[in-house]
Amino acid sequence: MTNCIEIKGLCKSYGDFALKNIDLTLPGGSILGLIGENGAGKTTTIKCILNLIHRDAGEISLLGYDNVREEQLAKQDIGLVLDECFFHDTLRPLDVGKILAPAYREWDQKLFRDYLGKFGLPEKKLIKEFSRGMKMKLSLSAALAHRPKLLILDEATAGLDPVVRDEILDEFLGLIQDEDHAILMSSHIISDLEKVADYIAYIHQGEVVLSDAKDNILDSYGRVGCTAAQLESIDPRDVLRTRRGTFGCEALVKDRSAFARKYPMLLVERTTLEDIMLFVGKGEDK
Amino acid sequence: MTGLIMKDILVMRKTLTSYLFIMVLYAVMALLDIFNFGFIITFVQVMLMVLPITAFAYDEQAKWDRYAMSLPLGRSKVVGARYLFVLVLALCTFSLALFGIAIIYLLQQEDLVEMLLTLMVSASIGLLVPAIILPLNYKLGAERARPYLYTVIFIPVIVVVLLSKLNLLDLSALNALEALSPAFIIGGAALLPLVGLAALFISYLISCRVAAGKEY
Repeated sequence: MTNCIEIKGLCKSYGDFALKNIDLTLPGGSILGLIGENGAGKTTTIKCILNLIHRDAGEISLLGYDNVREEQLAKQDIGLVLDECFFHDTLRPLDVGKILAPAYREWDQKLFRDYLGKFGLPEKKLIKEFSRGMKMKLSLSAALAHRPKLLILDEATAGLDPVVRDEILDEFLGLIQDEDHAILMSSHIISDLEKVADYIAYIHQGEVVLSDAKDNILDSYGRVGCTAAQLESIDPRDVLRTRRGTFGCEALVKDRSAFARKYPMLLVERTTLEDIMLFVGKGEDK
Repeated sequence: MTGLIMKDILVMRKTLTSYLFIMVLYAVMALLDIFNFGFIITFVQVMLMVLPITAFAYDEQAKWDRYAMSLPLGRSKVVGARYLFVLVLALCTFSLALFGIAIIYLLQQEDLVEMLLTLMVSASIGLLVPAIILPLNYKLGAERARPYLYTVIFIPVIVVVLLSKLNLLDLSALNALEALSPAFIIGGAALLPLVGLAALFISYLISCRVAAGKEY
């Protein structure tokens, strides 16, 4: 199985913000969910992948190609949906096909029109009359019509209703049935990622603070609810982060079962990706 | 690259259609002798110089550049497409003007040399102005580059007018043109658009450098 994305030691500094030593791997046939707060560095990472900004250090390989030296080769097999619709208001969906067709060797106009039909997008309606959901579906149709091996999505499902999101997620799951295909997906909608992602990478203040298979994370990480006194009694090495509230304290633990064996009197539960984000974003070290 | 030129045409199809309508209207006016042909050619060239800037403004509004730079084309091709769009526009106006000149000459027997000279000069200006403005658009963005368009167009006009008002401009040299043969004048004038094309090529190289250093 080949890796569709390999990022090693990626650094990019803007002065007040920096991506620090990002390492990420996305194996074929899987979906990597990129999570993190606003301004954590998700979009900057995606911009580095697409060579839209110049990195300070590190290496990025996409589908086996270097993302700078062999940029055009790599991009032939990449489909892209960013957080906005980049098509001009005065265009129509069919115009988008005409514009993109010469750019991609494998552009399939019939497939593009099939997607337009499947998503219920009128081919000749002006884009300015489209709703946000329709615009995202158009971007997705354009991203899929050249049969990309790698799909990169930056907040692509933000602002969409659950029905449309589910429809789009189904499309993603269909795409990765092929072992050569993969999806990198940054999103704030953690429930979407919990539904479809195989791997999760959490970027916090420009650093990857967590990167593992989603099932490993959900199976091993745990949340402990306790009193302040109980929290004091826990060995700091056994907890990752803590949160102290008026009505009690919570702690994030990495190995739920080991913690339960060591502290049988404390209740440790399964945790969610959202909880982990809240612990890292708002919690503190013990 | 053809897709991107197509994009500019599709995005501005309404504007282009109305420009075409205006051009036809003016051509009719020139035929009816309501307007001077030279004035019309120059006016149309100025209108067309504004079009590439409008294209930048539309792109900025749609944040198109980020998407275009993500396509498997490379930055120089994305830049090249905009320059080709300018060339296509210039070629269209040039051909239409040439066609207009032919008709006016056949119907009204007006001075052919003067009309061709006006066309060559205005076509060269039509290439030189984008040559200056396009790199500024890549560097500064459409909104900040727009004042420079007016500066580039109007400052030379103001300077020439001021100089002639102060009697500092010696136009007697132009009288020497009358002594030259028409073939020589047209031949010489035909070189002017070539200078415009060369300037546009140098401008393309500068824009490529600007785009290569930019972050999207």
